[in-house]
Amino acid sequence: MTQDKLPAYYKELAKYFKTEKAKRFSTNFFTDAENYEVWDEIDFENLQEVDGENTFTIKAEDMKAYAEGCLDNNPYMTDEEFAKKSPYGGLVPHPIFTTTIAFWCVGIKGRGNWIRTPGARNPGQYHEYYENFKVGETIHIKLRPYGRYEKRGKYYLQYKIDMYNQNNVLKASSISTLILPRTRDDIRKFLKGIRGLKD
Amino acid sequence: MEKVSFESVKTGMVLAPVVHYVNQETFWKYAVGSFDYNPVHNDAEWVKTAMPFKIPKTVAHGMITMSFMTSVVTNWAVPAMLRVSKIVSKFTKPVEQEWTITCTGVISEKHYISKGKNYVVVDVKAENQAKDLVGLSQIEVVFPD
Repeated sequence: MTQDKLPAYYKELAKYFKTEKAKRFSTNFFTDAENYEVWDEIDFENLQEVDGENTFTIKAEDMKAYAEGCLDNNPYMTDEEFAKKSPYGGLVPHPIFTTTIAFWCVGIKGRGNWIRTPGARNPGQYHEYYENFKVGETIHIKLRPYGRYEKRGKYYLQYKIDMYNQNNVLKASSISTLILPRTRDDIRKFLKGIRGLKD
Repeated sequence: MEKVSFESVKTGMVLAPVVHYVNQETFWKYAVGSFDYNPVHNDAEWVKTAMPFKIPKTVAHGMITMSFMTSVVTNWAVPAMLRVSKIVSKFTKPVEQEWTITCTGVISEKHYISKGKNYVVVDVKAENQAKDLVGLSQIEVVFPD
């Protein structure tokens, strides 16, 4: 995963790059957007689970960057020394840290890359947690199409995403939902800065 | 570390609120922490014409609103060694720059299952400075003993 053509506001983003992964992650969601999965093209006849494109080895800096990004200064999430001395024995992830893992693991070319679609809107999310993620674990994801529906003129797409550690222990699951442009042409409009939604 | 027992928790109990002012810097910082670089949050020029939310301005990530709502619960649960087991969130209005978001939570349900599986449900809402609702969550918290 490497940086590609940089967006105009890249310098503003780069001020916050503190982690090794943040320096490598592709910040330009227009890259390869022509090839993202599209609402009306996904094959719901084939509900087979697939692996994500990348694995995510959790470093303390990753957990801290998420907590800081959502303005949470809970010392269990941000202070390694404090957390080590606590009964947890180490950093506790903010529960929504799963967002970071999901974007990293889905990658650019993998199934589920529609979560990067310019023009997508987030109506709400469903998450379940079985064990806290821990520093040092290597997480892989499995995902499959879960739902596709129209409601009040909006087009909703859902994938189920399961997150496992290196020992195949299921750590968390989510039903990831977005309202998407319906067709590839609608996405192309968004890539040109034209609204590709009818609602 | 303040131990909290299942028996001691009552429905109607109010948790401490979480309040955050947000602006474009907040959106950029969150994008870096979450790897969600969707241009609707980051690109002021693109959004002027693309307008996914029908407004020509960048808006906050839904997931930062979900995070703010979740922090109401983790601020209480994590020091007490309680575990968040489920979060169901809905976003009702896009969050704009220079808004102040206030998240409040109340324990709404208490589920008596068995030792180690008992849990409560916390209803959390997020509002802007005009008291417009921007998000809702139901967050389950399991008691280990």
